[in-house]
Amino acid sequence: MSVGAWTKKMLEAALFDEIWDAMKVTFKHMFHKPITFQYPREQRIIPDAHRGALGLLRYDDGKERCVGCDLCEAACPSRCIKVVSAEDKSLPLQRYASEFYIDITKCVFCGYCVEACPVNALAMTKMYEYSTHDKRTLLFDKPRLYQIGEHHLADAKKYLYAHNQEKNDDMFHDYRYFFPQSVVQSTQPPPKHLTS
Amino acid sequence: MGLKPATNPDVEPAPIELQIDGKAVTAKDGVSLYDVIAGTGKIIPAMCYHYTFDPFGSCGMCLVTQEGKKAPVRSCTAKAASGMIIRTEGDDLFQARKKAVEKHLSVHPLDCPVCDADGHCELQDMAFQHGVTNLAAAKQKLIPEDTRSLALDFNMNRCIACGECINICKDVQMIDALQFMKKGGFTQVVAKGDTPLVCEFCGDCLAVCPVGAITNKFSKYLYKPWQLRKTTTTCNYCGDGCQMSVETKDTEVVRVTSLLSWKNKWGERSDTAKGHGGLCVRGRFGFQFIDSGERLKQPLVRQNGQLTPMPWLETVDAAAERLAAVKAKYGPQAIAGLITARCTNEDLYVFQKLMRAAIGTTHVDSSARYGHLNFVRAVRRSLGVGRMLNDSEEITKAKAILVIGSNITETNPIAGLRVKEAIRVYKAQVIVADSAVTNIGKLASHPLLIKPGTEGLFIQALLKAALEEDVIDAEAVGKHPAAFAALKQALAGVSLEALAGATGVTSAQIREAATLFAEAPRSVVMCGDGVVRRSGGYQQVLALVDLLWITGKLGRPGCGLNTVVEEANEQGAVDMGVAPEFLPGQANYEDDQALARFAKAWNVTLPTGRGATLMEILKRCRSGKIKALYLVGENPLATLPRSCDVQAALEQLDLLICQDPFMTETAKLAHVVLPACTFAEKDGTMTSQDGKVQRVRETMDSLGESLPDWHILAAIGSRLGCAMDYESAQDIQREIMTLLPGYYNLGQPKKIAASPDAYYWGDGYAGEVRTRYSSLIARRSPPADHSFTLTLGQLLYHSGKLSTRASGLMTIAPNSGRLRMSPADMERMGLTDGSRVRLTSSAGAVELGVQSDQALLSLACFFPEHFNEPPVKDLIPVETDPVTGVPAFKQTAVSIEKV
Repeated sequence: MSVGAWTKKMLEAALFDEIWDAMKVTFKHMFHKPITFQYPREQRIIPDAHRGALGLLRYDDGKERCVGCDLCEAACPSRCIKVVSAEDKSLPLQRYASEFYIDITKCVFCGYCVEACPVNALAMTKMYEYSTHDKRTLLFDKPRLYQIGEHHLADAKKYLYAHNQEKNDDMFHDYRYFFPQSVVQSTQPPPKHLTS
Repeated sequence: MGLKPATNPDVEPAPIELQIDGKAVTAKDGVSLYDVIAGTGKIIPAMCYHYTFDPFGSCGMCLVTQEGKKAPVRSCTAKAASGMIIRTEGDDLFQARKKAVEKHLSVHPLDCPVCDADGHCELQDMAFQHGVTNLAAAKQKLIPEDTRSLALDFNMNRCIACGECINICKDVQMIDALQFMKKGGFTQVVAKGDTPLVCEFCGDCLAVCPVGAITNKFSKYLYKPWQLRKTTTTCNYCGDGCQMSVETKDTEVVRVTSLLSWKNKWGERSDTAKGHGGLCVRGRFGFQFIDSGERLKQPLVRQNGQLTPMPWLETVDAAAERLAAVKAKYGPQAIAGLITARCTNEDLYVFQKLMRAAIGTTHVDSSARYGHLNFVRAVRRSLGVGRMLNDSEEITKAKAILVIGSNITETNPIAGLRVKEAIRVYKAQVIVADSAVTNIGKLASHPLLIKPGTEGLFIQALLKAALEEDVIDAEAVGKHPAAFAALKQALAGVSLEALAGATGVTSAQIREAATLFAEAPRSVVMCGDGVVRRSGGYQQVLALVDLLWITGKLGRPGCGLNTVVEEANEQGAVDMGVAPEFLPGQANYEDDQALARFAKAWNVTLPTGRGATLMEILKRCRSGKIKALYLVGENPLATLPRSCDVQAALEQLDLLICQDPFMTETAKLAHVVLPACTFAEKDGTMTSQDGKVQRVRETMDSLGESLPDWHILAAIGSRLGCAMDYESAQDIQREIMTLLPGYYNLGQPKKIAASPDAYYWGDGYAGEVRTRYSSLIARRSPPADHSFTLTLGQLLYHSGKLSTRASGLMTIAPNSGRLRMSPADMERMGLTDGSRVRLTSSAGAVELGVQSDQALLSLACFFPEHFNEPPVKDLIPVETDPVTGVPAFKQTAVSIEKV
């Protein structure tokens, strides 16, 4: 080691140069905004396109959007959705999901189910807090999914807009489909021999 | 007929040569161009075409270009001709086909997500294939769904007017229940006259519908095709042995589909080569019993007078211990067993092995005893064969068919289709002798309405007419002059006119029928329950053999004697030796050599001597000689009339074991109830009436704790010290294969040939034939006041008691509890639908309502045998055949009075 280098090292040691170096970083942070959040006291702002927990939606008149078509089940890559469909006897042609389960422990949040849904009944929300002591509650059933959908309706709609699935409120009627065409009245009266 | 292969099996169509996509192809003359192209393996889309019926040509998808023609031609309606140069691919054709798809889609709702056909829809496939993404002028039909029918929903918004449903109904089923109707500005498919659809509900229209316009009411909206596990198995209802696909979700049967569908119009069509691959109403809509809530799910053992659930191990121990106790106390012959012929061959084999080898009794019988054994015993005795002689193809190509005592389109609809095809395609002459106006009679060239119960007399009249008309085959009778002389003498005693008078048809009609039958180059006889399930059934089958013999049909190719059976595996039950007279393979039980062979194979000493048949077993139960009875799927209490005193017989028993999927009336009396699987939950094989051994496959896990029959039987057998360590049905099959080489014929039975020589040479024939014909006319003397004939019979919509557990079939055909009478009789007696009558027979009286039935003759009345409420079956006295021990309890004389 040369004399110059030795002198420099000794000088640095005497003046606590490394500490000043470190303190430089510390003092710098005293003057700008903190990056960390005080979760859970503070909540992070989440982008609209965020893929969080899934919820089921209703039309504005309260009718279930879901037609039980099982396409979300077919699209799901982790096979976490189970739909049991049935016919609504009171409405001609109306198909609905009598049971609907999403095993959120298996869900990979890919959003394919939302994309597959022809009536935009499924949407992803910004909800991500559902840790629990009982794993069984993570099998979301139909009431739970509708509850999520209701609590996070605004987020769910924003998700659909962000993903270009539902246009905007003015174009409310521009869902991809309306199901079913439930026709009660025939376009033509029954033949004469049947009407006595 | 249009573009179908030659309608005459005797003449081979001329070969023609044409060029398809630059390749030379040889084909038969007179065939649709589409069929020729499909035969080369090329797939041209076609939404209105199906090979089972004539081309209709409405969809415009099967376009090909033919050299020399400007525009593309529809290949389905074009006849293949020699020298054609055809191109099936190309951008112009693709665009033309795309236009056709767009045309169909423009009036088709885009409700695929809620449509039952989603994923199994030809229009959907075509739209994908042709990349249809934009529809300029789409409009909606907005037609309400027609849900009036009991089994099918018609959503005419989705209909593309391909006409497949109408064509298959008219051409293949010959029912003609559907039609096109212009309604609301659109052509729609409706039931005839726009009424609620009431038909045979075979569901073939549903199967061929390329879109979701026709849907199944019993599984509507419950599934998407890709969610279902599809297993091809053999139907469990009748002996036709139809292959069907049971589609399940976990332990729930969602629907049953046929091999026939719009999809099978391409390729080699091998799965539907024999027959059209469709199903009947029972197979297609009668699946609900499989996952029914009424199924037994736990073994039950009677403790303190109550049936209490027990674990399997303890139950098997209890059953085996009690069987061993009875055997130790009273000897093995105090134990008897009955099994239903709805079990698989493997179950039946293990059952008889359990009874014979493990227990050591000879008393083992099956439900084939209710009728089929009459047929088997008769053809064994006379022709040396053990089943019906013709396969379905021979029946289809017959020139003359005698259908006797069989409402074949109701009892065995798919076998009936073979007769219909013979009428339609091959122009066969069909003689139908039945005591009711049957559907096959309406289609037949010679429908003969005979009085109820005179089937035997009618056969005798045919024989007599054949002799008088001299349409005897000299060569056949010349071989056995003594036998022919005896037959002639036996028939000499009575005149044709007397016989004709007794049967209710004219002698001219009988003469015509006999001549026609004798002179046709290929004549077949189909006899059904009206022959084999009646008293004297054995002799009547032998009389039919006589008829075939003197007309020279025995041993001639394409001719023969056939039957139809009610339960799926009656033939298998006989083949597996579940009858006291037979060992497996129909070896004679009293043949010491055969007995020794099986004793060696099973490593036991087998009991000798002829065991008791069904009725004899019940009699011995009553007299206390039999102390333990093992019933597998049998329910004699609900089957046999009260006069058999089954209840008393069963109550006498020290031990009654019932192994059944359901809690039957008999099971309620049992000491041990073992829950068995239905056919849909087990592997195995079944033998159809024409000898096809076909696989039964496990379509879902067994419900609850129920187990396959062979499993339970083997467990009890092993517990009784007989080596029965089978791990699967395949182990049993392996054992059967070594004992009966060649039995597993993979659905392609060997041809069997009749060898009547021994019978007609034999000494016994002369004596036998005398009693056969002399007793017939004398027997017809009903008591004077009992002028009506009551017949218990099968309905199209039901099979045995099993189908009454299927909610679908009960929706279609519930038990009306009413006696069916002819409208003329009802008018004469002042009865209307629903009025009550008292039905009196020699065995008792029952009060019930009546309903009119156009099919019935005057002085005939009918009640479906599937229902015991009201207990009409108890009115019928039982007559047991002296030779075969078959109980006849389906017909009796009754009187009807208004109350």
